[in-house]
Amino acid sequence: MKQPNWQRRLLIALSTSVFIGGVGSAAQAAEVTLLNVSYDPTRELYVDFNKSFAEYWKKKTGDTVKINQSHGGSGRQARSVIDGLSADVVTLALAADVDAIANNGKLLPVNWEERLPDHSAPYTSTIVFLVRKGNPKNIKDWGDLVKPGVGVITPNPKTSGGARWNYLAAWAWAKKQPGGSDATAREFVKALYKNVPVLDTGARGSTTTFAQRGIGDVAISWENEAWLATKELGPDKFEIVIPSVSILAEPSVAVVDKVVLRRGTRAVAEEYLKYLYTPEGQEIAARNYYRPRNPQVAAKHAELFPKIDLVTIKDFGGWTKAQKEHFGDGGVFDQIQAQ
Amino acid sequence: MNIRRAAAGASIAALLPFAGTALAQTAAQSTPSNEELKREIDEQKQKLLILERKLENSQDAAAAAAATAPRITINASRFQIGSNDNSNFIRFRGTLFADNRAYAGDSAPETADTFLLRSVRPTFEGTFANIYDFRFTPDFGSGRSIIVDAYAAARFKPGFVVTVGKFKPSVGLERLASEPDLRFMERGLPTFLVPNRDLGLQLSGDFAGGAFSYQVGYFNGVTDGQSSDNLATPDVESDTGGDYAARVFLHPFINSDNFNLRGLGFGIGSTYQDLDGAATNPYLPSYRSQGQLSVFSYRANTATGTTPNNATFSNGERLRLAPQLYYYRGSFGFLGEYTTVKQDVSRTVAGATRSDTLTNSAWQGQFSYFLTGEDESYRGFTPQSTFQPGKPGTGAWELVARIQELDVDDAAFVGGANSFANPLTAITKETAWGVGVNWYPWNTVKLSLNYDVTSFEGGAATGDRADEQAIFSRFAINY
Repeated sequence: MKQPNWQRRLLIALSTSVFIGGVGSAAQAAEVTLLNVSYDPTRELYVDFNKSFAEYWKKKTGDTVKINQSHGGSGRQARSVIDGLSADVVTLALAADVDAIANNGKLLPVNWEERLPDHSAPYTSTIVFLVRKGNPKNIKDWGDLVKPGVGVITPNPKTSGGARWNYLAAWAWAKKQPGGSDATAREFVKALYKNVPVLDTGARGSTTTFAQRGIGDVAISWENEAWLATKELGPDKFEIVIPSVSILAEPSVAVVDKVVLRRGTRAVAEEYLKYLYTPEGQEIAARNYYRPRNPQVAAKHAELFPKIDLVTIKDFGGWTKAQKEHFGDGGVFDQIQAQ
Repeated sequence: MNIRRAAAGASIAALLPFAGTALAQTAAQSTPSNEELKREIDEQKQKLLILERKLENSQDAAAAAAATAPRITINASRFQIGSNDNSNFIRFRGTLFADNRAYAGDSAPETADTFLLRSVRPTFEGTFANIYDFRFTPDFGSGRSIIVDAYAAARFKPGFVVTVGKFKPSVGLERLASEPDLRFMERGLPTFLVPNRDLGLQLSGDFAGGAFSYQVGYFNGVTDGQSSDNLATPDVESDTGGDYAARVFLHPFINSDNFNLRGLGFGIGSTYQDLDGAATNPYLPSYRSQGQLSVFSYRANTATGTTPNNATFSNGERLRLAPQLYYYRGSFGFLGEYTTVKQDVSRTVAGATRSDTLTNSAWQGQFSYFLTGEDESYRGFTPQSTFQPGKPGTGAWELVARIQELDVDDAAFVGGANSFANPLTAITKETAWGVGVNWYPWNTVKLSLNYDVTSFEGGAATGDRADEQAIFSRFAINY
C-alpha cells in the first residue's frame, strides 16, 4: 500500500531532524571545546586554570574539554565578541565590557551579574606602580607621577579595561587630596597623561613597553601583572610601589548565552565559571596574584596582597555612568586628550 | 685724531679684563658636565625607544587590521570577496559554451546544422561561517531562461552534509561531473537515463579521508535525463510520488602509497520512485542520439474526438541502478558506467489496458589522455603552460575517445499498433563511438572538436535509422 505523500515527507523531515540532533549530541559527548575570550594579563591564570578544570570535568563527566583562549585589550575583546567572535564565556577586565556585549550585542541578558556570586567577579585585583630597581625617580604616590621628567606607562582607556581602572584610581586619589574636587581630579589626570609617552592598546603591551623596551619610569599596572613582571623578568630589575589610594578592580565573568545555545555548550560553560569560585579555582587565582574572594584562600596568601585604601566603582556611580562620563565618545578622557 | 685713537685704545684696554671674564664664563657654561651629558643621552635614548615602540605598536595594529581585513581576489580564474580567514565569502563564476553542430551525410536534416549558445551560466555562490554554502546558477543558453542550481548546504561534519534545493541528485557518474570538467562536449548515453537536476533534500558525507562517500536523498522525481524545469509547471512537482536516491562511492586507495591505484574509484547509484502517471501526464522519457537528435519516445496520444487518450504512461515503480567506475593515473584517464532503468508502463487502447515492466539500459567507456603531460582527473586540472602568441607555451592538449550504447527494451515494441513505442520512429538500440581533441590555451578557456558516429537499430520506416555522423565544436569560457 502506498503511503500518503505528506506522511512520507513528514517522516523524512523528522528523520532528518533526529539525525541532525543525534549527530550534534554525539559530537558533544565525545569532546567539547570552549572559547574563553579574556583580557590581556590573564594568559597565565587561565593556562593554569584550564588545565585544572579539564581534569575536573573529565573526572566528573568522562568528557574531554578543550578550552581555547583569546586575549587582548578588554574593550577590544568585547567588540570582537559583539562582532561575532564565538566566545562561550567572557572573562573581561571590567563589568562595562560585559555590559556592552549584553546591551549592544544582545548576546546575554542584562542581569548577567546576578547569575554568579560576588556579582560575577570571582577574583579581584587593584592598581599599583611598577618602578625600576632602586626607584630612581623616588615615586611613592600618585602625585609623583605628574612631576616633570617622569615617564608614565599606562595603556589606552579606550581599548583597555586595565587602563580604565588606572585612570579611575588616579582620579580617586586626586579627589581625596585636600581641596580635591572633580575639577582638580580632571586637571591631575590631564597632567598625568601628559607624562605618558606611549599609549598601548592593552595592559600586556604596556608591561612590554615598560619592562622589556625600557621606556618610562613607572608603569601603572594591575597588581597581578606587576607581580608577574617582577617574578618573570627579575626582582633585581623592578620594584612594586603601593600607592596610598587605589581602586578595587573586579574583573567580570559571564556565559555568552547565544553562543552556548548555538554550540550546545551551556552546561560545561556554566560549570567552567562556577569552578572559579571553588577552593581549587580560588587557589589558582591567588597563585597567579589575583586577590581571591574566598577568605581562607585570601588569608593563606595575605603577604602578597597588602591592605590599601580602595575605592570602588560605586564611588563613580557604577560602570554605566563612569563609562559614559569618562570613556565614552566625547567623554572626559577624549576631552583631555584633545587639549 | 691721535687723541681720539689714544682714547679708543685706552677704552679697549680698560674693557679687556671684563671681556675676558665674560668669555671665560660663556666657555664654562657651554661645556656640559658628564652628568648633564648622561642625562641628555638618556633623554635622547628614551625618545628613540619611544619612537621605536610607537612604530612597533603601529606595525602590530596594521598587522592586526590586515588579519581581519576583507580579502578581495580578482584574477584570471576567480572573482571573490571574503573575510581574511576565508570562512565567509561570496564568489562570482560563469560558463559560456558557444557551439557549432554539423552533421555529415544524410544522417540529419540540414536544419540540424546550427550555431548555438549551449550554456550561458553565471554562478553566484558563497560560504558563511565555513559551514553554510549556497549556490545560484541560472542558464540563458539554448534560448531558455531557467534556474539550473539553487541550493543551500550545511557542512556540519565531513561525514554529514545537508543539502536542500535544486541540484543534481547523486546517481550518474558523468552527470555529477561539473560541465567545465567534461572531456566530451556532450555527456554520454548513460546520462540520458539518470536525473539531471531536481528539487529535494540530500544527506551526504565522506569518511576515512574520502575513501568512502555516500549520498542519500529524497526528491520530487524527474523522468530519465530530465530536470525539474522540464515539468509542466517548471520546478513544481505535479505527481504524487517522490524519488528516493542513494549512492555510495569508494576510493579504497586514495590515501595509499601505491600511486598506481590512488586514482581508482567505483560505486553505485540508484533511485526508486513509485509513480502513477496518466495518459495525459505520462511521466515517461524520450532519448536522444549522441548528436542530440531525438531518436526514441514512447507513443503519444493519437486519439481524436471523444476517443480516450491512448498515450503510453508510467504506471508503477521506476528503479534505476548505475554502477560506475573511474581510474586516473598520470596523463591517462578512464570513466565507465552502466545504467539501467526498470519502468512500469501502461497503455490503454480501445478500452484495453496493457501493462509491462520495461528495462532500458546504457553503458559507456571513455578514455582521455593529455599530450602535454597534465594529470587527468575526474575534477579540474591546471594547464602546465598557457598559450600566448610569440611566447613559449602551448597550453594543454588532450585526446579523448569513447564507445557507448543505449538499448531500449524490446518489449516496448511488442504488440504492433498497441505497442508502447513505435518501431517505425523510435530506435531500439544505438551504438556510438567518438573521438575528440581539447585544447586549453588558458585555464579558463577551452576549445573542443568532437566527432561521433552513431549506428541505430530500428527507428525508421525502412528498418534502421541512418547512421549519424556528428561534428561538434565548442569555444568555452569557464570563469
